[in-house]
Amino acid sequence: MSNPNEASLPPTGMILDKYASEAFAGLVAPALDGVNISAAPANGPLAKEDTLVRMQKDMKRALEKPVSERRWVMVIDLRKCVGCAACTIACVAENKLPPGVVYRPVVNQEVGTYPNVTMKFLPRPCMQCDVPPCVPVCPVSATYKDENGIVVIDYEQCIGCRACIVACPYGARTFDFGYTYTETTPVAEGLVIGRTGAESYERAASFEYSEEWPRTDLRASPVGNARKCHFCLHRLNEGMLPACVTTCIGRATYFGDANDPDSLVSELIARPNVIRLKEELGTQPRVYYVV
Amino acid sequence: MTKKTSTSLFDFKTMNNATRITLLMGVVAFIFGISGLYTRLFIGEREVGYGSYVVWGLWVAMYLFLAGIATGSYMLATLEYIFNVSIFKGTGKAALWAGLVTMPAALATIGMDLGRMERIIKVYLRPNFSSLLAQMVWGYTLFLLIVVVTLWLAFKHKEGQPTNAFFKLILWIGFFMSIFLSGGVGALLGVNASRPYWTVGLLSVQFPIFAFASGVSLMLIIIGWFMHFKDEEQRYHLFRWLGWVAIALSLSKIYILWAYLSQAWYTQIPDVMTALNEILFGRYWFSFWVIQIAIGTIIPLVLHMIPKLAHNGTWAGLIGLMVLVGFAAARTNIVFPAMTVEMLDGLPTAFFGPHLDINYTPSNLEWSVTSGVIGAAILAFVLGAEILAVFNKPKMEVK
Repeated sequence: MSNPNEASLPPTGMILDKYASEAFAGLVAPALDGVNISAAPANGPLAKEDTLVRMQKDMKRALEKPVSERRWVMVIDLRKCVGCAACTIACVAENKLPPGVVYRPVVNQEVGTYPNVTMKFLPRPCMQCDVPPCVPVCPVSATYKDENGIVVIDYEQCIGCRACIVACPYGARTFDFGYTYTETTPVAEGLVIGRTGAESYERAASFEYSEEWPRTDLRASPVGNARKCHFCLHRLNEGMLPACVTTCIGRATYFGDANDPDSLVSELIARPNVIRLKEELGTQPRVYYVV
Repeated sequence: MTKKTSTSLFDFKTMNNATRITLLMGVVAFIFGISGLYTRLFIGEREVGYGSYVVWGLWVAMYLFLAGIATGSYMLATLEYIFNVSIFKGTGKAALWAGLVTMPAALATIGMDLGRMERIIKVYLRPNFSSLLAQMVWGYTLFLLIVVVTLWLAFKHKEGQPTNAFFKLILWIGFFMSIFLSGGVGALLGVNASRPYWTVGLLSVQFPIFAFASGVSLMLIIIGWFMHFKDEEQRYHLFRWLGWVAIALSLSKIYILWAYLSQAWYTQIPDVMTALNEILFGRYWFSFWVIQIAIGTIIPLVLHMIPKLAHNGTWAGLIGLMVLVGFAAARTNIVFPAMTVEMLDGLPTAFFGPHLDINYTPSNLEWSVTSGVIGAAILAFVLGAEILAVFNKPKMEVK
């Protein structure tokens, strides 16, 4: 089917319209402000809404359902991931993660031999397994699957034995040893920079699990606890997508309710080119990778 | 010349040289441990070498080691009280006392490993019994009580009389607990499918055998260095018996190790091979080849074969000590290498920060705390044994 607007578009617009992803077009189009092109014609048959908008709508529908009927999943398109680590940074900022604690690193690997060399990237959030090996090993039931199906940690219950970290086959948990980024920075009195200014930000509360976790007392939880990605549960509760999803510059991370057949994630995970990590262990991860 | 019985608890003049040297070693070890214990208890855990990738380190390995000695010692005590092995008469109390001292030491080292050790009470108040760790905490607590009761009954028990029914019941419970608990610590590791190097049935099976071997080695030290026998013939037979058992256990240890390592090597499963290479040729080669194999197995085996040395108290104790050191190294060689495997290729370099390292060497803090706990255990064992007279020492008579 031909695009009715095609004839009126300049060559650049035609190329973008035809080949570029909506994300790429969305990035480039503002730079071409004033140039008479349309990356994704609003009324044309190729018009698509931004995936973020669609996921937000999917989420709204999911939140209207009872909790037990939702099945939150994350889909990461490895073909689109450029390894920028924006998701990692967003996660660190959102959850105020201290040094040594990371929920969503992006694994970088160089593959091939010259001249056929390339990089591959693997963002690794918690897999929120349906059969999570980290749960039964906890001696005090501090980690469990909550009603959303997300594997959570009760910081006030955790004794810090790290059995869950040992059991996780994805290395998705880290231990909070009580560091702060600013503790070794120089004091620059009267200036915004330096320890004094930055410390107050760093010690302000994070809102994981919809509770306040200030870092003013380094003997209080979550210091001395295992920590992990929780799909930004505190954001989900407020109807917001996880921070790593909204900040992905390539729109490579998708999130939604897999029990909703009309959701974007349901469409994506029904494809044959979808894998899950270490499926042979029977953990049934809720994170899917498009390859 | 009138004689009267000494009333002091300890009389250093009557102690033999081995006891004095052991006490001195205990004091030195404990002093070295004071700073570590203070740092860990009042400052925190930041100076440890383990972290989020090498999750468990020296303290967990020492927990396995000390718990092995405790359960192994109990197994040995049953030889006198349940199985009535005549040459073991008089050794039961010393074995039980050894178990009673090493068990809290084991729990102390694992306690130091907890990020929030003040919450250990939660394991009793809200346990998750599907967790091997919870099972072990409960199991070892009950076992500790059983050891206390057994020791109390052992003191009430009159030598030469048959063991009464209640005492026997307690002993049988303790005996089975010592087998299952020593295997349980192996299962604590083995149930982690995430660590293929541990997920071998042989792992948990070998732990009770190693525990018994640890008990035998400790008994060699106790008999060789500390215990007094009215009948030197009994001492000679004990050296012979324990020597042969130690040889048999050393050989079975080598056999199990061979079966374990050779199968792993043959399969060439990458995660297993990474751990194996670390043990045989990598970071832990010295611990494996020199401490575990040479000092802990081959040299004691050779010394056992020389009757003159094997039946000499000093040498027998030294042999026992070497075997124990070998078992301590063996525990580290089970715990550390499995952790050095990257859970996902490239994960350790994906994000940088403290304790996000795949290479592990115990830190000074870890050595210090371990030294402090073992020093305290040595002091408690020797001094307690003097008070309780479990070494069968005749009461000192002075002018």
